[in-house]
Amino acid sequence: MAAPTATASLNASTYSPGDPMTLTVTYGDTDTRPLTVTIVISDAQGNSSPPVRVAAVIDPVSVTVTDDSGRAWTRLSDNGAVAVYRAVA
Amino acid sequence: MPRVTVTVRDSGGRTATTSADYTVAPPVLGGYYLSGNADPTADIAGLNVRSLTQYRSLADGYTFPGYQKPWLTSLGRSGIALNMVLELKHYGAADGPQSFTVDGTSYTVPAPAMTIQQRPGTTWPKAYGYGQVIAGQCDGLLARALSQYRTMGVPVNIQLASELDTDHEFGTTEAGKTYTWAESDARAVQAVTYIVNWFRARTLPAGTTFSIGLGGFDRACYQRTHPESLMARLDHLQWNVYATSASHTALDRFRRTKDWAVADLGPVALSRPVIIAEWGVRVAEIPNQAAWIATVPAAIAALNAERGPRIVRTNYFNSGWGTLSPKATGLSALKSAYATRPYV
Repeated sequence: MAAPTATASLNASTYSPGDPMTLTVTYGDTDTRPLTVTIVISDAQGNSSPPVRVAAVIDPVSVTVTDDSGRAWTRLSDNGAVAVYRAVA
Repeated sequence: MPRVTVTVRDSGGRTATTSADYTVAPPVLGGYYLSGNADPTADIAGLNVRSLTQYRSLADGYTFPGYQKPWLTSLGRSGIALNMVLELKHYGAADGPQSFTVDGTSYTVPAPAMTIQQRPGTTWPKAYGYGQVIAGQCDGLLARALSQYRTMGVPVNIQLASELDTDHEFGTTEAGKTYTWAESDARAVQAVTYIVNWFRARTLPAGTTFSIGLGGFDRACYQRTHPESLMARLDHLQWNVYATSASHTALDRFRRTKDWAVADLGPVALSRPVIIAEWGVRVAEIPNQAAWIATVPAAIAALNAERGPRIVRTNYFNSGWGTLSPKATGLSALKSAYATRPYV
């Protein structure tokens, strides 16, 4: 099993009070695999239900953001590889 | 410095941690200058003014705080950031050599040997020459200023020269020899380096900082006067900002010199915060000064949100091109602007 990877970048290094701050997190784990489980129910007479598809992830990862100044960061988007967070300076 | 930390954890408990540091800057200091180096105390009462510009010639026997200016010390002690423009330009004393004693040491300084601001059809002001400075002939002026500064006891930013580009625009002359604009810039860099080194080699009030003065209206001059070797000795960038056409916007005017600096200067220069020693709106072309002033906070906020050096002080120049007319309306506009982010 591989360890996850993460990089984080802010849209600036210095902010004025009240400025919007944007944090972009790029992350991944080579073990992470999306897959789809397809289920069909059949009875003894050979009748089958329509297929039901369920999405699942092997070795999913979670992203947490903390700030030692107590500033609250809110997730704006996350596509599974890039997550964008927002806070106010 | 605050730090934001990101942790990515997989289902097996393996983690990756990374972090990014950032700074939340203090508010920009709104500032002021009142014509004639006058006491601004009454004008700024009730305004969020926390910065002030003053001008002194090194020829003047009363550099710090200035003749009959104990109020400057009071303002400094009250927390107003003082930008003291020290000029080689000669005023405040009779032309000719000076002899005086500083802390028991006698000095004789020769008459100023340079002319600057050589605009055709005008009388060219005299100044102590860059050659005179480098030869050590003006050390007495520096010693006198330093002694008075120590006695004053309030830290200031010492801005050497008001506007080197204005001083050099039409060339300079020292001891009968003429110098082009570019040559004058190069000589000025040597002279201000000498002066900063002279001061820094001595004990200064804690918190003393240095900069050099430019109008900031000429890109090549700005680049020539800001070599990294000099910027390593300085604490701030500086330029002045005036609106003199109905088409001028605050964002355009404040950003002009910044854009040149970002494109042309080195990393040391660009690490230095910016003092706008003067900004003003000329009423002849922009009768509604108040409306223009109202657009300044957003312009400064926008510029400081971009990459490049941050503007940390903006001192309104209520004199000359910037004269507030009517004054009460202008002061009211400043009051409102300086009560707006990024000034609060």
